[in-house]
Amino acid sequence: MSYSLNEIETRAKRAARGAGQSWGMAEETGKATGWLASYHLPATALLADLLTHNDQIAHAQTSPQSLDIPWRAPSGRLCPLASGAALVDCIHMLTHAKCITLSTISHPLLIVPFAAWSADAIKHPISITWRDIQIVTDGIKLSIKGPKNQLSTPSAPSLTCALAPSIDADAQPPGQRGEVDADAWAKLDAFAHRTYAPDTPQSRELGAGAGGNDND
Amino acid sequence: MALKPDTRSDYHMRTPSHVMRLSRLGSFHQSRLSFMRILTRCIARDAWRFSRPVFEINENGVGHAVYCAHTPDRTYSLIAFAHDIPETARSDRVIAQAWDSTFTLFDGVPTSEDIARLAQNIPLQEAGRVTQTELSVSRANRSVRLWEHVISRLASGQQPDIDEITKVGYLMRTTAVYGSGKLGAADREMIAARPECAAPFQIEMLSVYLTRTYVRDLAQHMANLRGGPKAAKLDPGIARAMGIGNSTGLGMAPFLLNHPQLFHNWIVARETAIARVRSVARASPAEIALFNDLLARSIQSADLWRSEHPVQVQKLTQLRIDLQTLAAHIPNADLSGNLPWDRLLRWADDALGEDAQECLASLILEPYPYLTDPLAHEMSDANSSLCRINGAMKISALDAILQKHYAWAAQIDWSQKKSDARVWYISEEKLEPRLGERYDEPIADYEQPLCPGRDAKALMDALAAWDATQTTAAFLLAHPEHRHMVRRAQIVDNAPYAEIRDNTIGSDLMPIDMLRCKLSFFGATHFDPRSDRWVRICLFGNAPYPEEIDASNADLWPYPPHDLTSQ
Repeated sequence: MSYSLNEIETRAKRAARGAGQSWGMAEETGKATGWLASYHLPATALLADLLTHNDQIAHAQTSPQSLDIPWRAPSGRLCPLASGAALVDCIHMLTHAKCITLSTISHPLLIVPFAAWSADAIKHPISITWRDIQIVTDGIKLSIKGPKNQLSTPSAPSLTCALAPSIDADAQPPGQRGEVDADAWAKLDAFAHRTYAPDTPQSRELGAGAGGNDND
Repeated sequence: MALKPDTRSDYHMRTPSHVMRLSRLGSFHQSRLSFMRILTRCIARDAWRFSRPVFEINENGVGHAVYCAHTPDRTYSLIAFAHDIPETARSDRVIAQAWDSTFTLFDGVPTSEDIARLAQNIPLQEAGRVTQTELSVSRANRSVRLWEHVISRLASGQQPDIDEITKVGYLMRTTAVYGSGKLGAADREMIAARPECAAPFQIEMLSVYLTRTYVRDLAQHMANLRGGPKAAKLDPGIARAMGIGNSTGLGMAPFLLNHPQLFHNWIVARETAIARVRSVARASPAEIALFNDLLARSIQSADLWRSEHPVQVQKLTQLRIDLQTLAAHIPNADLSGNLPWDRLLRWADDALGEDAQECLASLILEPYPYLTDPLAHEMSDANSSLCRINGAMKISALDAILQKHYAWAAQIDWSQKKSDARVWYISEEKLEPRLGERYDEPIADYEQPLCPGRDAKALMDALAAWDATQTTAAFLLAHPEHRHMVRRAQIVDNAPYAEIRDNTIGSDLMPIDMLRCKLSFFGATHFDPRSDRWVRICLFGNAPYPEEIDASNADLWPYPPHDLTSQ
């Protein structure tokens, strides 16, 4: 079923929050999921899988231990969202170092939107490489080379983020709708539900403050 | 793109710390920059045509109708479904499951297949699904008493009593108008490049404008069916007095906090307009005459404004007194002298309450469309992506931003229960936004990030332990919990009207202040709170209908005509 990008972003944001991300991280997770979905990539499926895998694991365990290259997680496996947020924050490093390497990262495709926002910020294409996959983005367009079955891989032993000399002229522009995987959508909904307060008589009566009679 | 605060030295921009207080935002009035007026000016300027290709509604008031708005480039169609619901089902809250009428604004002209598909979904509202050809989803309930009055009068060959109509202001009130991708509809980005959608909420306003026409036609249709040949045709002047109501709860309040850049763009546009008009050296006799005419009509509008809510009753009383004070001052205000509007606003700072000050601030814009109306193009936020955090910013610079824009938050004693007494949360029940009591209910774990004052203070405290030469990136790696607030602070540094500079979780919070601010930008009038967090308003009251609208009446309709009531 076709979904609006707004719907995908909203559900991804709430799910990320429900899975324990800070609100600021969850905002970026929402936008990242919508961004990937707009290129018809399996964004919601990867996110649902990642949140399930990292559920109840503290953010600090899966985010880069320090900004010294290569980035590593205390748990041994970097979260692509925490790493992506650090990448955007540190994009000034990339312009000096030319290359940031990350060791063992979950669901590497999920870092690509952050690379796109970084590319947009420095007005220079950026490449993301793992195994036989090379993705280049200038912030708007996306070029993917390599075996498609590696896009959804649950982890990669290393990932490299570097300045790219250019982006292919036939790179893909974003679409305006997203397709979602029904099972993943339901999983994200279950995570999102953790952010909703169960009803109590008091909250039902007073919380919205409507009161009164609407038959007037 | 963000409109920067105007820094020309001959402009006097009101400061964010003056404007962005809840009590002032909660006193805003409609203006030339209100979204309804931007729409009606666009309709007249581009000579839109309107048609009603379908109107199939039976004697029980059940069926559907289609209303088309034809712009120079394309057609938008309101598809209205009319229902017959029991009184017990009629509720304005999000948790309602049935409505008197349900609507969608369709992009183009719907086929019979489209209508059949939408008939399975639109009446369900949140429980239904729509597609990218639908731009909005909405519903409306009758004002039961006025509906019966109008239909029974018309059916018996009489006109409705204009005083009864002005007491309520509308025959139906909408209880939600969903746009921007909700329920599967088209995202705003899909239509944002169209010129008629450039200003904010134009699709939602068009949906409501066409809904008002449908409601008038439905009332006439039902009266004709009841009265037969003796039924009267509704007088166009009386019809014009009927707007569309809107019943709005807390869902609207978080919007202002969740869209800081957009909110800044709205406020800075109005503030820039006010500053420009204040810099007008001399007012012409025609400009002064228009101001005086609209002031008189504003006084009449305030007299027609009804509310039973104690806070609003008090505000209304003061507004009426202040507007009389203003009118009495005008003959002595020397408006033909130097810098007339600046002098008048300075006088008002001391002589009038905030409600009348804001009414006046909107009124002085009216004679100056050339200074005001172009700002409408700056009120959207074309960049839908999340603001990127500048991680290279030094801690010292981030702290300086907080000290500059959030000093008010540092002055609040957050250790006191009254300072964080409230929690914004979403209930599981149909995802209704609510506000609860932190120390009385088990809701703190579900708190939404709608308390920038507290978050800013916590960020300031955290930064104090850090070396000022370190980067924001390093800080956020250690403190992801401050990521939301760091982004806000960096937005506010470039968009100083983005933040409400008041406590949004304090025990004395009045959420209706936030609702009124947003609704004033829609162009709403007759703000009528039902509680501290629920409000009814009127939209498009006294506006010309599609068959009447032209350049002569498309703009100043929010000011009621002098002869509106029967007195």
